[in-house]
Amino acid sequence: MNKRLVLYLTGYVLLIESALMTLPLAVSLLYGGEDHMAFLISMAFTAAIGFALVRLRPQNEVLRAREGFAVVAISWIAVSFFGGLPFFFSGWVPNLVDCMFESASGFTTTGATILTDIEALPKGLLFWRSFTHWAGGMGVLVLSLALIPKMGARSVYLMRAESPGPAPDKLVPRVGKTAKILYELYIALSVLLVIALLLCGMNLYDALIHTFGAAGTGGFSNYTASIGHFENPAIEIILAIAMALFGINFALYYYILQRNWKAVLHNSEMRLYCSIILLSTLIIAWNIAGLYGGNFLHALRLAFFQVSSIITTTGYATADFNLWPQLSRMLLVALMFIGGCAGSTGGGLKVVRVQILVRSLMRDIRRTVHPKGVSTVKLDGHSVDEGIISGVQGFFFAYMFLLVLCSLIVSLDGFSFETSVTSVIATLSNVGPGLDLVGPVGSFAMFSPRSKIVLTLCMIIGRLEIFPILMLLSPSAWRK
Amino acid sequence: MNIIIVGDGKVGYTLAEYLSKDGHDVTIVDKNEQALAKARDTLDVMCVLGNGANVRSLLEAGVENSDIVIAATTNDELNMVCCLAAKQLGAKYTIARIRDPEYTEGLTMLQKKLDIDQVINPERATAQEISRLLRFPFAINIESFAHGRVEMVEFRADPSDPILNIPLSKLHGHYPRVQFTAVQRDGQAIIPDGSFEIHAGDRVYASGDREAVTDFFKNMGKNVNRVRSAILVGGGHISFYLAKIIAGMGIRLTIIEIKPDKCVRLADQLDGVTVICADGTDQEVLDSENLRQTGALICLTDRDEENLITGMYGVRQGVRKVVVKVNRLKANDLIENMGIDSVVSPKLTTANVILRSVRARSQSQSSVIEKVYGMLNGAVEAYEFTALEGADYLNIPLSRLHIKKGVLVSVLVRERKNIIPFGSDHIEAGDTVILTAKAGTVVNLEDAFARTETKR
Repeated sequence: MNKRLVLYLTGYVLLIESALMTLPLAVSLLYGGEDHMAFLISMAFTAAIGFALVRLRPQNEVLRAREGFAVVAISWIAVSFFGGLPFFFSGWVPNLVDCMFESASGFTTTGATILTDIEALPKGLLFWRSFTHWAGGMGVLVLSLALIPKMGARSVYLMRAESPGPAPDKLVPRVGKTAKILYELYIALSVLLVIALLLCGMNLYDALIHTFGAAGTGGFSNYTASIGHFENPAIEIILAIAMALFGINFALYYYILQRNWKAVLHNSEMRLYCSIILLSTLIIAWNIAGLYGGNFLHALRLAFFQVSSIITTTGYATADFNLWPQLSRMLLVALMFIGGCAGSTGGGLKVVRVQILVRSLMRDIRRTVHPKGVSTVKLDGHSVDEGIISGVQGFFFAYMFLLVLCSLIVSLDGFSFETSVTSVIATLSNVGPGLDLVGPVGSFAMFSPRSKIVLTLCMIIGRLEIFPILMLLSPSAWRK
Repeated sequence: MNIIIVGDGKVGYTLAEYLSKDGHDVTIVDKNEQALAKARDTLDVMCVLGNGANVRSLLEAGVENSDIVIAATTNDELNMVCCLAAKQLGAKYTIARIRDPEYTEGLTMLQKKLDIDQVINPERATAQEISRLLRFPFAINIESFAHGRVEMVEFRADPSDPILNIPLSKLHGHYPRVQFTAVQRDGQAIIPDGSFEIHAGDRVYASGDREAVTDFFKNMGKNVNRVRSAILVGGGHISFYLAKIIAGMGIRLTIIEIKPDKCVRLADQLDGVTVICADGTDQEVLDSENLRQTGALICLTDRDEENLITGMYGVRQGVRKVVVKVNRLKANDLIENMGIDSVVSPKLTTANVILRSVRARSQSQSSVIEKVYGMLNGAVEAYEFTALEGADYLNIPLSRLHIKKGVLVSVLVRERKNIIPFGSDHIEAGDTVILTAKAGTVVNLEDAFARTETKR
């Protein structure tokens, strides 16, 4: 492993992170909060480390797959750490483990929080917390690819390691241009959402906070009651639709701009994703209608919002779904596993992986009937490469394995089964709220530092789709 | 520009590598997943899995908005169909690699009917390269510019050469009609300035008109007589084309080919050529064909190793010019150490020819670029262009132009006369200008003369 190159590129990412902190600094100065010094100190600290690392300019700048993975993994850990500094220096979160948890939760677009009284925080910090969702949603490395023009041809490794999905690919021949297009689409959609929210009567600050949360599919709100605070059906519906849109592969928006309707309509992942949302919404609405006095329309609105929020792994809430009937709760947990589409800002397994898993399972069943039968797994008319299929199966196993392992560690804290397991699912899938104590009105504050570190790692592992972080643990990756 | 390359073999990969470095958006289409995987990982290009003649694959590669489609698979017919389909779907310019001699005769008609803008025949291009080498046996490489008025000749400086260790500004006094345009030393490419001194072992490009260059080599005490006889080992397509090309040059040609049926065909198609049916890598056979007295030995069998061994034998026997064809090996340094200077590679030649025409097409702002030629393994590029009326850099002495570092105005051709320019010379409208520059420093010509107008 070319460690200098890894550190050098990580330095660049830190410089960008330091630059990103100017936004919350401006907000803090604007609202006159007492937190602007915390931002200045954090910025200086992050930039200093960044500059020091960038000075390590390596002789050999050839980026191989392993360096690509390592850069992404180490940058994300570093970004989470430095992103937590403003909380620490401002004194609002005195514990570094808690700071890193909150920051990782922001960048990985999880939305789990250790704060209990959110409204008390100054506006600058709340803005930064939500802004990390937006920056982390499309990817910090993708952002650096868009901003740093000359990272070389092999920087595709960086994009592949950070972008979600079994086989992320470029939209146009150049990595840098692809990154730019993705960010342009992301910014455009976000601006539209801000305008829509303003029209519904939100003030600009709240509109920005909730746009960051929905666009990055993160889920931080500046109110403890989340979206329920507004008690405004229009806002709920707009956010529900927006979240669902951000859970779709961004390549499809590019195709729409290209007027390539066929590619959009024939995308089976998107169609399955929409069907899941529709079906789950109907089931849950029917299931919970009784709770809301048989008002099916009201139930439908609540169900749609929650389904959209959970499948995209955002985690906003308009009702305490922890109190819903068992079927609805189970269904929501199932949706947490599935997650959004590949190439979106959502987390979880991704719809396309579920598709591939189901189809390869059906092939295995066919094989038991026709032991000598030959068949391929097809997706959108193309057969899926066997390497990708086994990669998806491996990914699924790794996901389940980590789920069990981390649940065991978290269960040492002695909370209920639901709390322990769903806290891990909610962080590994980057959802945010789980069930029971970590439900939509709960928080992660009561966990022990050990569990918080494990859950922080779960968030980063989940966001980077497991393998970049696991690779860091492999001794052969570090050998010269 | 948007460029689609069909076929991810050596030619396609080399093209994609250089074109994407030049800043073009490149998409590769191939049906071999593994070949694509390599390109996807190491190049900044997009890859499409599929058959290049398949409309669906072409559309997926974005053929409607493509500027150039290059069909470079090993299959002639596939390449033709691919170009035809691409043109119908909206490609602006198509280039096909077509190699089978059976197509050569009807090629103009085929090209017109299929609407292929450029055809490249690797074997014929290689044969042309070899024929130039035979014309100047002292040269490692030759490229001609301005319709043959300017030749750029690469040679190796020997310890006995009289030009060593003299600053070029002094050397110009002795050879006023020759310009030293580029040097390679220890693998580094250098654009020399007036204080530069040539050392033994350097690979130097000298340019000027043919007479001046020949005189220069004569003065250096090199044997400038052209080759009178040549032995070709291997009777493939290249040998056939080469025999056709040098038929009028007065070179006695002997082709040694191992397969009887190929020999018969060659004897049937070529006149005035001795065809021997034997193993050309057998030293006995070469000796009996009088190798020691032969001017040139050209090894063109399908096996790189045999070509190299046979070439080494030729060097040891004192053959003046040894040319070796190498397909797969990437060991130019090693081969140079064996004493073999001239190595030809049909695939690289093909890639170079296509690269030149793509670059020429993409660089035509205020000056018309006619030729772009990569030298010293692509480290240096030579540009030929015509200075148009109204350009910023006209009629200003070169010493006052802000010429970028690493760019040399090598030769001007004005009214059919070559001018080796000094600081006091200037470019006039209508001049043919030949520039050399380190690869990557000049993307378009305005770059070379950055910010000249501020002087006015």
